[in-house]
Amino acid sequence: MTETAFPDTPRVDARDKVRGATRYGADQSQPDMVHAMLAIATIGRGKIEKIDTQAARAVPGVRLVLTHEDLGDLKSAGFLFHEGYAFQSFRPMMSPAVAYRGQPIALVAADTLEAAIEGAALVKATYATEPFNVTFDARPSDVIAQAESPLPQAIFGDRIAGDADKAFANAAIKIDSYFTTPPQHQNPMELVGTVAEWRDGLLIVHEGTQNTAAIRHGLATELGMPADRVQVVAPYCGGGFGQKNSLQMQTVLAAIAARRLQRPVKLVVPRAQVFHDTSFRPASRHRVRLGADANGKMVAAIHETDSQTSRHDLFPTLYTDLSARLHGIANFRGRERLVQMDTQTPGFMRTPWEHVACFAFESAVDEVAYATNQDPVALRLANDAAKDPITGKPFSSRHVAECLQRGAERFGWSRRSMNPGSMHAEDGSLIGWGVAIGAYPTTTVPTIARLRVSDDGGVVINVHGHEMGQGIRNVIAAAVAAKLGVPVESVVADLGDTPAHPQHLTAGAWGTASAVPASSAAAEAMLKALHDLRPNVPAGQTPAERLKAARQPSLEVEVRRHAPGQPDAVFDRLDHGLLAFAGPVFPDFVTFSYIAHFVEVRIEPRTRRARIPRVVSVVDCGRVMSPRTARSQVMGGVVWGIGAALREASEVDPRYGGFLNADIAEYVVPVNADIGSIDVQFIDKPDQTLNDMGVKCLGEVVVAGVAPAIANAIYHATGRRLRDLPIRIEHLL
Amino acid sequence: VNLNVNGTRHELTIDARSSLLDVLRERLALTGTKKGCDHGQCGACTVHLDGCRVVACLTLAAQATGRAVTTIEGLANGSAELHPMQQAFIDHDALQCGYCTPGQIMAAVACVHEGHAESADQIREYMSGNICRCGAYVGIVAAIRDAAQKMRKR
Repeated sequence: MTETAFPDTPRVDARDKVRGATRYGADQSQPDMVHAMLAIATIGRGKIEKIDTQAARAVPGVRLVLTHEDLGDLKSAGFLFHEGYAFQSFRPMMSPAVAYRGQPIALVAADTLEAAIEGAALVKATYATEPFNVTFDARPSDVIAQAESPLPQAIFGDRIAGDADKAFANAAIKIDSYFTTPPQHQNPMELVGTVAEWRDGLLIVHEGTQNTAAIRHGLATELGMPADRVQVVAPYCGGGFGQKNSLQMQTVLAAIAARRLQRPVKLVVPRAQVFHDTSFRPASRHRVRLGADANGKMVAAIHETDSQTSRHDLFPTLYTDLSARLHGIANFRGRERLVQMDTQTPGFMRTPWEHVACFAFESAVDEVAYATNQDPVALRLANDAAKDPITGKPFSSRHVAECLQRGAERFGWSRRSMNPGSMHAEDGSLIGWGVAIGAYPTTTVPTIARLRVSDDGGVVINVHGHEMGQGIRNVIAAAVAAKLGVPVESVVADLGDTPAHPQHLTAGAWGTASAVPASSAAAEAMLKALHDLRPNVPAGQTPAERLKAARQPSLEVEVRRHAPGQPDAVFDRLDHGLLAFAGPVFPDFVTFSYIAHFVEVRIEPRTRRARIPRVVSVVDCGRVMSPRTARSQVMGGVVWGIGAALREASEVDPRYGGFLNADIAEYVVPVNADIGSIDVQFIDKPDQTLNDMGVKCLGEVVVAGVAPAIANAIYHATGRRLRDLPIRIEHLL
Repeated sequence: VNLNVNGTRHELTIDARSSLLDVLRERLALTGTKKGCDHGQCGACTVHLDGCRVVACLTLAAQATGRAVTTIEGLANGSAELHPMQQAFIDHDALQCGYCTPGQIMAAVACVHEGHAESADQIREYMSGNICRCGAYVGIVAAIRDAAQKMRKR
């Protein structure tokens, strides 16, 4: 690892985690708790005509069965991306409608989990079925161009720079390729689940989530109660990856069951149901046209996409907003369409658009390299962007060239021979070396940081944020400790608790660039407050010593920060649990994080199995606040890229709807034996144009570019250009 | 049933269908053992039964009668000091969200005792029943190699 300004300290919550002492949502247990289970729809679309719950109610121990007939008037919490709080606007069990296979149709609550499971299996529904579609073979009326949709055009309209069609027509070298990517599910290890209890009219929810605020305000909307009567507590989340970014299906059902029974209810959604009760990465199709001169200088790019959405919501896409920024291509046109299908609404899965856009675009760039006989690293260096091709604004920082150069050196790229199939191992395996770059927009959200120091040495910082394994507690503690001159271990970051502090969704890798500058500013304000308390103190006194000397037990400060260009009114959105992010286009500059991945693939000669013994990844994420957790983030991102490239697909059967491989053995994710060496390097140059701490974003950019680097390495090994993910053994035979 | 968990005896009346996992979590409040799939596919619920690793979700609680169950809470034998494997997971940052970690550590200790921690490749193979969605595999392999040496010295 490179030398960094911040020390390599252990993960602050690791000791609890290795002892099994960390409490996740479903670890909550209350005396007299009831267990609940859901029954699900078994048709692709239609309406419940009759639902028979008699057998379920007869199971010993069953206390309550809820169906759409029992729920009364409930208001939808609305779609997260349309000024709402839930992962989709459609809320099952609020009517007899069945929008997709797998949606909940009944809840069964019982004294024991075993009785609840038995009861749920005995719920029988009869349906009036309707035609449905779960593939891209859609009616023309189901295809919606974003540029002609009600979506905000400044964000989701076509991406245009120069005249891409004319420049492409006149280009010496033309690449015209189609790519596809499958639906995928996030599958964090922690299941989606809720523990709900009522205490004197107050609803308390324990749930692993990235967005306590959306659960709070969403439940308040659905149940018609004031938000301050809902508390959501989620100090830890057992993996989010975008799945837990909003109000899920089961939360309100658990809350209603708890209210009816006057007992706490635990509802943990089984893995198979998670595939239909939460969002997923939509399937997509891409046509990428690249025009270049004979030396590989790219002069035109046209990137057109189709992406899956649901019948009830438009989950928009930003594929070409990213691909436009990968290289300095003066003439660019991006056009994105949505295709409505009968599934739950798709949504964010780690690096949602950027991983997919990079796969298509960076694969096509590799085709340009081979069409012009240019080394793929040299070609990218020659096409680097000096300013943002779309807005013409400067980048606040961009170290793509340094990522490529350092990565090539670490990897030994100069020993690569250009021709496909030209490198072999001693055992006869084909060796392929591939490269690709990735990028991810840096956004920030408004942040209120409250810092309290005590004369016993205690330091507590309240900011919004959810710890889901990314190490946000570490970066916040590091920022505060460095400023106050106290040990990192003495700083407690209090996160994910709606009664304690206003919360915002933690996603989009904006956690560090939002929480760290605010926390650091709070520490700065604390130093000033301590100085005002006792102006003349000897140097080197700790905050606790100063408080003692002033005979003051504790001191508290609060600061508010928002993004450049955001109005102060944005804090109202924070108060209402609504999305309030800004970037990557700020008034005076544009900010992205970047990465270069170098991958070695080995193809076994007989089985044609593809293995990845080593990866080198070099990241430009601004200042690295917590070297240890940052390095782990990058390695995890590479593992995600390997899964996306070689393993993961949610299988769809057009005859039945829903997802077929709805468990974690048939939805194949990378396991330990799939992963070899991962060498992580940081450029670690602070971006002080963006914020005074110089931090950009990390947790998402790490996935971007892994899949095309693998596909490009497979081309180098075999001469086969594979444009459909995932790439599996049968594609290499 | 009569269960011996981490050296403590528990006499419980349970539903015959109860899994060891649900009894540990919901009856004995030993929530360090996690439910990730309930189908034996992910390894998050790995515990030791008479010193061997099993997935608690596919083990009926009744099957554990008269046998010694060890969970993550009992790994350090009630001592304040961590087991070398726990310390190695901290030292190598072999975790992120922490949800699969108790299962990884229980599997890792068994992996060493089985003699399946002789090389990095062997560890990768014998630890592939425990999924880490955060992707901490590189750290997990490093932690097990480190802890295996210390466990042999003890």
